[in-house]
Amino acid sequence: MEILKIENLTFSYPLCEEKAIESISFSVDRGDFVTVCGPTGCGKSTLMRLLKKELIPLGEMSGKVYYKGRDVQTLSEKETACSIGFVAQRPEEQIVTDKVWHELAFGLENMGMPQDVIRRRVSEMTCYFGIEDWFEKSVAELSGGQKQLLNLASVMVMQPDILILDEPTAQLDPIAASDFISTLSKLNRDLSLTVIITEHRLEEIIPVSNKLFAMESGKMLKYGETRETVKALRNNAVFMQGMPAAVRIFSSFDLSLPCPLTAREGREFIEKNFDNRVSELETPLSNTEKKDAVLEFSDVYFKYSKEMPDVLRGLDFKVYKGEIFCILGGNGSGKSTCLSVAAGLRRQYSGTVRVLGKKIKDYKKNELYRGCISLLPQDVQTVFLKNTVKEELEDVVSKDHTLPYDLSELNDRHPYDISGGQQQLLALAKVLSSAPQILLLDEPTKGLDAYAKKEIGVILQKLAQTGLTVVCVTHDVEFAAEWADRCAMFFRGEITSCGIPSEFFAGNNFYTTAVNRMTSNYYKNITTVSDAVKIMRLNMNGGAE
Amino acid sequence: MITIKNASVRNALRIIIPFALIPAIIIMGVYVFKENSYMFISVGVIILSLILFISGFEKKKTGTRRLIIVAVMTALSVVGRFIPVFKPVTALTVITAVYIGGEAGFLVGTMSALISNFWFGQGPWTPFQMFAWGMIGLVGGLLSKYLKKSKAALITYGVAAGIVYSFIMDFWAIIWNNEIISIEAYLASLLTAIPYTVIYAISNMLFFALLAKPFGEKLERVKLKYGV
Amino acid sequence: MKAFDNYNPITIFIYFASVITIGMFCLNPVTMNPLILFLSLSGALTTYIIRNRMSGVKSHFFFLGMFILLAVINPLFNHNGVTVLLIINNNPITLEALLYGTASAAAIISVIYWFRSFSQIMTSDKLLYILGNISPKFALILSMTLRYVPLFENQTQKVIQAQRGLGLYSDTDFMSRVRGGTRVFSVMVTWALENGVVTSDSMTARGYGITKRTFFSIFKFRKKDIAVTVASLILFAIILTGVISGAINFRFYPEISHAQTTAVSVITYIAYGLLTFLPAAIETEEEIKWKYLKSKI
Repeated sequence: MEILKIENLTFSYPLCEEKAIESISFSVDRGDFVTVCGPTGCGKSTLMRLLKKELIPLGEMSGKVYYKGRDVQTLSEKETACSIGFVAQRPEEQIVTDKVWHELAFGLENMGMPQDVIRRRVSEMTCYFGIEDWFEKSVAELSGGQKQLLNLASVMVMQPDILILDEPTAQLDPIAASDFISTLSKLNRDLSLTVIITEHRLEEIIPVSNKLFAMESGKMLKYGETRETVKALRNNAVFMQGMPAAVRIFSSFDLSLPCPLTAREGREFIEKNFDNRVSELETPLSNTEKKDAVLEFSDVYFKYSKEMPDVLRGLDFKVYKGEIFCILGGNGSGKSTCLSVAAGLRRQYSGTVRVLGKKIKDYKKNELYRGCISLLPQDVQTVFLKNTVKEELEDVVSKDHTLPYDLSELNDRHPYDISGGQQQLLALAKVLSSAPQILLLDEPTKGLDAYAKKEIGVILQKLAQTGLTVVCVTHDVEFAAEWADRCAMFFRGEITSCGIPSEFFAGNNFYTTAVNRMTSNYYKNITTVSDAVKIMRLNMNGGAE
Repeated sequence: MITIKNASVRNALRIIIPFALIPAIIIMGVYVFKENSYMFISVGVIILSLILFISGFEKKKTGTRRLIIVAVMTALSVVGRFIPVFKPVTALTVITAVYIGGEAGFLVGTMSALISNFWFGQGPWTPFQMFAWGMIGLVGGLLSKYLKKSKAALITYGVAAGIVYSFIMDFWAIIWNNEIISIEAYLASLLTAIPYTVIYAISNMLFFALLAKPFGEKLERVKLKYGV
Repeated sequence: MKAFDNYNPITIFIYFASVITIGMFCLNPVTMNPLILFLSLSGALTTYIIRNRMSGVKSHFFFLGMFILLAVINPLFNHNGVTVLLIINNNPITLEALLYGTASAAAIISVIYWFRSFSQIMTSDKLLYILGNISPKFALILSMTLRYVPLFENQTQKVIQAQRGLGLYSDTDFMSRVRGGTRVFSVMVTWALENGVVTSDSMTARGYGITKRTFFSIFKFRKKDIAVTVASLILFAIILTGVISGAINFRFYPEISHAQTTAVSVITYIAYGLLTFLPAAIETEEEIKWKYLKSKI
């Protein structure tokens, strides 16, 4: 049954020549799981908002949206508010009230529902989501993933038919993100809830969605059954960047086979079509020449207060000049704490930390932050305070300092109006202004699309070539595999393994890249798509070349 | 549920209650009830403040964005009270009043007092603080035309507001200390409070001088961008 | 024991409103009746101590100090009264002034203790429930602010760390503290206002402002709530009548004098005693009930 029909939708923002959305028409059936993808700035978010009547931004709109055959504009406010649910990106700011139970009831209160109806619906939803344990808690006590689940639950109590989500997992760590996606998929299966979602992290969402909607600069590029659409896009480099590893590998070969979507299908695809006579790539000899250690942790212990357990337990590692050092690990393993100790923001209670060979406590006042070390925080919005990008740069950047990239075309924009990737670069510019020798980064790729990630990676590499040392804490294994010189696994306050990416990830079975999971036991030390493609070309079945 | 339907009655109430009724009750407390005055004053102020809230607020529509700005400014001033040397309640109340309106200023003032006392401890002083800060916001809203134009006027009002706040809280202190209300006692307590009043006035002055403009710009931007 | 906490917020509010109103009423020169004050102080202390047991013992010493200070200060400045105890610097220290000081100290401290218990028991969500019944919209905005406060605090800490890591914040001396504080606050204002829009969208998306809101709560009004509410109100009415009738009037100046003991005054005393010890009685009853239930198992 057709539940949503969009006809010739066009939209432009005020004072803007270009159309944000241009003559888009498509329809969605009940129970569909539609993933909308496209590069940043293609109008995904605008499209999502146009589908939710209450959130249509200021601007000029033409075209029609039909819900169950009726024009959305003619529906009552109550009907649209209830039947189309919306979940946005930032979990924190979407929460309105201070208690979990109150948040769940908020939408129903708005509808003027009587107490007993609210009570029933809220208790039902609490059970379905399995959140009884936190029912009476303050929302401030929840983790990011729990907050986003709460946002989902408090939309679901309104019993919507359609759920629209705008990058709901961008701010979550990988485990919370996959929990969230599996909850969505369960809702879709159990209640035939129609889901329309935009996402950068497509690895997990593509396999559960039955339709894919590809957008490019405000226009619809392709819409249809997921596997078909992916296959049709195989030659479009921009789209392929963000696709699951199996798809990217598939797209590098011109084979007329069904496109694999999951890691399992990817492995089947590789093992069926390629052999493994060459099982290993020749790796350039790892650079063994002795370099100077610029950051040194030896036997460092840290805890937040006397009563609390240790967060860092005998942490021991060295980072050498000019390398990109990535620290990976689960939530709460102490990765971020390690960075703030390195930046001198927190003080260890035992052990020593040396920065550029000098003990950190021997640095006076702000000396450490003048040309030695600089920390880019996870939430880059914590560094913005001006009204334009230009003022923001003038706030700190000295005239003669040159950046390896250019932000001048954003000069007049407000720091909050630019994209996540651009915000990251702006914050990085501020951090680099003190000309540090060591750059500490906390989750620099959080919430970014594949293109922005690549841009960050390229910039970091350029910086490293000039002799800057980069220490990066991240959840993003794909990013680490691609750009790091060395990776380290952080677990319960110490580093449990450390090495160059191909060896490091090859030694891990679970905490590793999708490519490695697909190729382990078949090829050796393959972690990135480009390496996989390289080795597969060497193993082409006779005659294919 | 108490809702005053007629808009003009509601507006009239909003002006009459603070400017006429509350002082009247206080004077009545002093002269009519004589020695039994203190409780009546306190209770009178509490009840009238509450009516004031409800009449101003429970009307049909307050845009979501306006609601958010009030909540944001209140939360900021509550959080600001935790920062040492930083007491931004008066300043934020005035700034909200000037840029968003008197009613919003009133709400920010009263709610900041009420909510921060969840951390600092509720007491019989809560309604007085609510009243004092609420009035600072309300009057700031009435004067917004002038305050927006000149920074000097804004700083003057900020300093004056700080002083008036101290005066009101001194008045409360006399009631609380169970002294007979007299001009002498009041003057005496004002005199002893001079150092605090001066510090408070200076901190307000600094705050306005440093932050009034950027804050105003930020509020204006949000107003423009989101159509408050 | 926290049995009293589990009563309906309206019940709790009415109880404290009654007991505190009477307590404040006593803060005036004609009705500062020592017996009333004693009941108020002992009731307030008992309620607080039963609830908190041995935690926060230090604070009691602080208030004890305050009590003594308040009691002693009055005779030093106030020389009314006929019974002179001693003369300092040509100023008589009188027994009446000392007793008056003690009495007003007792009144002040007891009100403070009632408020301490009130603050502990009347948590923000309970206050919201009460306000929600009067003005759902005001309750909503309070709830929103209460949600923001911990969020902003958390973010403030993050901003301080971020600015420190940029070398733009330090708290070594007063001026850099002011400068740093201003900076952090500025970042916070931008952040809070900009992201407020997300909250506002989330409210609009869930139909805020379409119709008149109802107010949901998880509190129930049970039989025992009715009982305690009615009891509080009746006792309050009795005491207020007694106080206004002048049956318990008590004067310190120029010499100690008081109204004669009558049936009305005795009833007032009893009623006030019952009112002040109501929470203690509820806690004790609960405790006994549990002991009994346990012994039966």
